[in-house]
Amino acid sequence: MSLAVAEDVDDELWSAVGDPTRRRMLDLLLASGPGTATSLSDQLPVTRQAVAKHLQVLDHAGLVHGTTAGRERRYQVDEAQLARAVAQLASVGASWEARLQRIKRIAEAIQRDREV
Amino acid sequence: MEFGTIEREIYVDASPEIVFEVVSSPDHVKQWWPDDAAYEVRPGSQGEIVFGDRDTDGTVVAFAVLEADPPRTFSFRWTHPADEDAGEGNSLLVTFDLTPKGGGTLLKMTETGFREMGWEAAVLEQQYHEHVTGWDFYLARIAPYVATLETRR
Repeated sequence: MSLAVAEDVDDELWSAVGDPTRRRMLDLLLASGPGTATSLSDQLPVTRQAVAKHLQVLDHAGLVHGTTAGRERRYQVDEAQLARAVAQLASVGASWEARLQRIKRIAEAIQRDREV
Repeated sequence: MEFGTIEREIYVDASPEIVFEVVSSPDHVKQWWPDDAAYEVRPGSQGEIVFGDRDTDGTVVAFAVLEADPPRTFSFRWTHPADEDAGEGNSLLVTFDLTPKGGGTLLKMTETGFREMGWEAAVLEQQYHEHVTGWDFYLARIAPYVATLETRR
C-alpha cells in the first residue's frame, strides 16, 4: 500500500479511540467481556450518562456492538474492526520501510554515477 | 519516545547532499513515493502530492514544507485539508534528519501526528491479544509493537 494515509483511514474510527475514557471502556470490555453503561460506569469515575454517550460513539465507529438485554443495551467489542484499526497503523510503518529502501537505492545510484 | 510516532533509520551509501536531494526534491520524491509532487523546497511552500492520475480517480493530498536545511533536515506536513493551514491535529509531520556517517549518510525518518489524529488504536489490538494491563503500558510500546507486526507478516 503506497497510498495516502488520509484516504485509507477511517477518521471516525480514530477519533473514537482518541479519548482516554473510551479506551478505558474498551479495556474493560475486553478484559471482562460484554458490559452495559451501568456496569461500566461502576468501574469508571464517570456517570452512567457519560458512559452511555461514549458507547454511542464507539458503536458508531463500529468498535462495539450493542444488543438489547432487558432495560439496558449490552455492548461487546468488535474484533474485526479492532484488527482493521491495527492493520492500518502497521501498514503505515511498512510503507515507510519500503520508501526508505527506495530512497537508499536512488541516492546510491546517483552517488555511483558521480563517482565514475 | 513520543507516543504515536513512527521512526525508521537507514544507512545510505551516498553523501548527505545527495540524500537530501532525494528526500526533498519533488522530482526525486516522485520516484520513491507519490506519482506526482508539486511544491518548492523552501519553508512555507504549500503544494500537493498526487497518488494515481490527477485527472481521473487519483488522490491529491496537501503537502506543506516546514524546514529545508540542506544537507541536514527536511520536514513537511501532509494530509491536512487543502483549505486549511497545516498544523498539529490536522496533519502528519514527517521529518528527515541526515547525519554524515562513514562515507555515507544515516537517514532518520520520523512521522508524528497519529496521536492527534487518533491513531493510538494500534494498542487496542495488543490489549485484545494479551488481555493484561491497561493502555498506559501499551502506549509506551507503539513503535516496538508495530515493528513486531511487520516481522510477523
